[in-house]
Formats: sequence, structure tokens, C-alpha cells
Amino acid sequence: MKVKVDQALCQGHTLCAMKAPDVFELDDVDGHSSPVSPEVPAGLESQVVSAVRSCPERAISVEGTA
Amino acid sequence: MSTQDAIGDEERKKIKYHFDRHAPDYRERFEDITHEMHAKCPIAWTDTHGGHWVAAGNREVFELAARSAEFLSNDHDVNNERRGYQGISIPAPARGKGRRGGFLEMDPPEQRYYRQALNPYLSPAAISRWIPWIDELVRACIDDRIESGRIDFVEDLVNIVPAAFTLAMMGIPIKDWTVYCEPAHAAIYTPLDSPDIERVGQLHMQMGMELFKQFAHIKENPRPGLVNALINADINGQKAPDMELMGVLGLLIGGGFDTTTALSSHAIEWLSENPAERERLSRERDTLLDSATEEFLRFYTPAVGDGRTISADCEVAGVRFKEGDRLWLSWAMANRDPAVFEEPDQVKMDREGNRHASFGLGIHRCIGSNVARTLFKRMILQVLDRMPDYVCDPEGTVHYDTISVINGMRYLPATFTPGPRLGPGLEETLGKLQKVCDEQRLAEPVTVRKKRAEIAG
Repeated sequence: MKVKVDQALCQGHTLCAMKAPDVFELDDVDGHSSPVSPEVPAGLESQVVSAVRSCPERAISVEGTA
Repeated sequence: MSTQDAIGDEERKKIKYHFDRHAPDYRERFEDITHEMHAKCPIAWTDTHGGHWVAAGNREVFELAARSAEFLSNDHDVNNERRGYQGISIPAPARGKGRRGGFLEMDPPEQRYYRQALNPYLSPAAISRWIPWIDELVRACIDDRIESGRIDFVEDLVNIVPAAFTLAMMGIPIKDWTVYCEPAHAAIYTPLDSPDIERVGQLHMQMGMELFKQFAHIKENPRPGLVNALINADINGQKAPDMELMGVLGLLIGGGFDTTTALSSHAIEWLSENPAERERLSRERDTLLDSATEEFLRFYTPAVGDGRTISADCEVAGVRFKEGDRLWLSWAMANRDPAVFEEPDQVKMDREGNRHASFGLGIHRCIGSNVARTLFKRMILQVLDRMPDYVCDPEGTVHYDTISVINGMRYLPATFTPGPRLGPGLEETLGKLQKVCDEQRLAEPVTVRKKRAEIAG
């Protein structure tokens, strides 16, 4: 599974990092999110799906299922 | 307006709903009104308060707030220099005349300069540095009540912690929290037609004068914090005028005090009414506290909505808007939309897919959201640990009369099994925390200081 955060849409709500703390990192200065790596580590796919569904700005997208 | 325009106007506003969130019964009827609007008119025109649109549906609020920034303005043009827009309050309050509510009543790029100046003080990384300091403050508030078995959660805890912490971040002496506390809350909960409004106005003015004194003092004697950041902020190559900065300071106090109080008191009240859920939250805190926090944010939506002005003719979510139209974005109603939230009128602490709008959506996302979450969690944890059997007293509980601005609470008395003190009371602790704040320069931005606060035994 691949994951992307649209930087034009992310507003730093931080919910993705609560759902998948090992997948998303928050910028120290403004809290905006970006994936640690575009490739989701095996086993964390369901956390990422949960993050996608929690994002108030609908800024996260995924490709593939595993 | 030509006849054709008038007909067009009638046509575009044909879906009407009488909506008045300032009405005394709005609090009682909130769920019924929300259900009705979701079913019949997720966006409607209301003739109240000069006439404005009301967006109640989740999709509609999202399309407008998160996807239509180019058509929405937050500008409060107090000197009528631009297009005379009225800012985020509907109706524009008499008290706010002549002053913008900080960057929440600005549009980009101006708004962005202010946020960029403050972000490094308010990001998750910046706020988490303060956790030991916050815990010590919460500990002292609880210690003042713990031996008595009685507390008013609002007056003795959830008013104090956000107030003292907001001042600490600003760089204002925390012992002055009482100067700001009552006016900050009373300005929100006192209805405009209340006989008390004059006294509250006076208090608010005194608070403004004190705030200006602190501002002038920090200008002369720089000390770290949000005030200093604003004084030095680069607003498109210039320093901001003092009047604008006073508006920003008012926004930080208004945003920092009443909202977190509102969230925390409602959650504490709900947990008292649902003791099995309270036990579960305490037991499963490692996995449940984050999602429970988001659920309380969704369900009780402290800041119920925000006004906007349409800045260009557009069509969004099937409605034709005209430049100059006023619009109310109801975060509270969007948060109850069954199209997005299963059983929206139930609190489910483990709710998945909770994309609530309680901190707003789009470029104006609440800049203090990380403060609110952190303070809430640190207060709830110590309440769960130190007074796990508290019972709130509905007789003594006082909610705000209306939920026109903030869904808040004034009193929340409770009893619990008394316990032992762990340390000194609030007054002594505030002195100690001020020293820690000054010596460790905690109010510096995270770009300057990354270390966590250290509280010696």
C-alpha cells in the first residue's frame, strides 16, 4: 500500500498521527503531516485506512490494499 | 437591484428555514433543529439577523469551508476600507465594533503571516514540551479540593488550567489569571439583553486595559511567548500595528479560555452520568483516550460555528451564492450528520472515522487545537486517577443559557470520596510554575527550545 498526504489540503489536525503514529510524522513547526515513507510498512495498512477515514480535510489518499 | 435580480434572489433563496441560534430555546431544540435541517435543507436561507445562509449538512459545510476558500472571506473590515465585510460573528456584536478579532477575521495572505509567527509555539511538538508543567498545575487544582470530597469542576479546575496555561504561553504572569478569567467567560455566556451586560462590558474593558499594559511592558522588556512573537512578527515585511495585535491577543484569550472549559466540563459531566464508560476509559486509557477526546469534541462541539462572507459569486453544493451574502457554517450540526456519523446523537468513545469539524475546516483550523487536546487529556487523566467515583450534582449544574457562540458551562459541582493531598495548593504552585517557566524559558518557540519542562519534586 502507498500513502500520500496532499500538502495543499492538510491543515494539521493531527488525527492521522493518532491513528497511525509510525506512518505519519508531524512537522515540528506547524504540525502538518507527511508520510514517513510513501510505502506503508506491512501490518500497518488498517491503521492507515483508519487515518484516511479520520482526516477532516480528506487530505490522505492510498493506492493498493497491501 | 433590478427586478430580474430580485426574482433571481428569491429563486436562489427559496429553501428557507427559520434559524436563530441566539434564541433562548436553541440549546433545548438543538437536536430537533439539526435533524430537521439535515433531512430537509442541509443549506438554507434564514431571514434572521439581517438574513444569512446556514450550512448544516456535513458535506455542505465541508465543500464550503474546506474546498471553497477562494469564495469565502473571514474579513472584518471595521474601517470600511475594503468591502465592508462583517467578520465571523452573525450578527456582528456591538462589543466587537471597531476591532478585528485577530487573524480569525483576516484573509490570506495577511492571515497566514500571523499564523506562521505563532505556529512554532502551538504545534504538537511545542505543546508536548509543557506536559510536566501542565500536570503540576492540574495536581495543585485538585489538591485544593481533594481532602474535602467536593469540587466545582468548572470553577476549581477547568476554568483555571486553560487560563493559567494560556497566559504562560503568552508570556503574561500566570498569577493574573483571575483578571482574565471571569471577563473571558462572561463575555461569551452573558446574553446581549441581560441586565448584567453592562457590568460584563466593564470587566471586559478592564481586562483589555490590563492586556494592553502587559503588551506595552513586553514591548519594552521582551520576554518569550506569544505576545513577543506577535510584536516581532514579520507581516509581509512590516510590523503589525498595535491595534491589530490587541485583536490577536483578544482572540488568543477568547479561544484559549472558554472553549477548553466547555469541552472538559461536558466530558466530565457525561462520564459522571455514564460511570461504566468512565471506568472503561480509565482502564483502557492507552488505546481509548485519543478517540474519546475526539468524540467529546465532536459531540459537544465547543465552538458551534463560524460566520463567513461570500467573496465572489459561486455555486457550491448546489446553491448559488452571491458576493456579499453572509453564511453560517455550523460545525456543531455538521458533526451530527448521519450521512457521515453512525448514530450521531450517541457518544461512542471508540468511534472510528471521526472526521469532526470541531476545530473548523480549511485554512482557519483552530490554531490552539493542540493546546485544547493536551489540556483536556491531562485534566481528565488526573480526575480519573484521583477522584474516580465523582458524582456531579445536576441541581447545581449550570449550562450556558444559549449555545450561540460556545456550548459552555458555568458550574459543575460534584462530590467524591476524599483523598490525600500530594503537594502544595494552587497559590504556591503558581509561584513555582512561574519560576519554572521563566528559568527554563518554556514560552520560547519549539524552534528555539526543544526540551521538555522539568519540575523538581
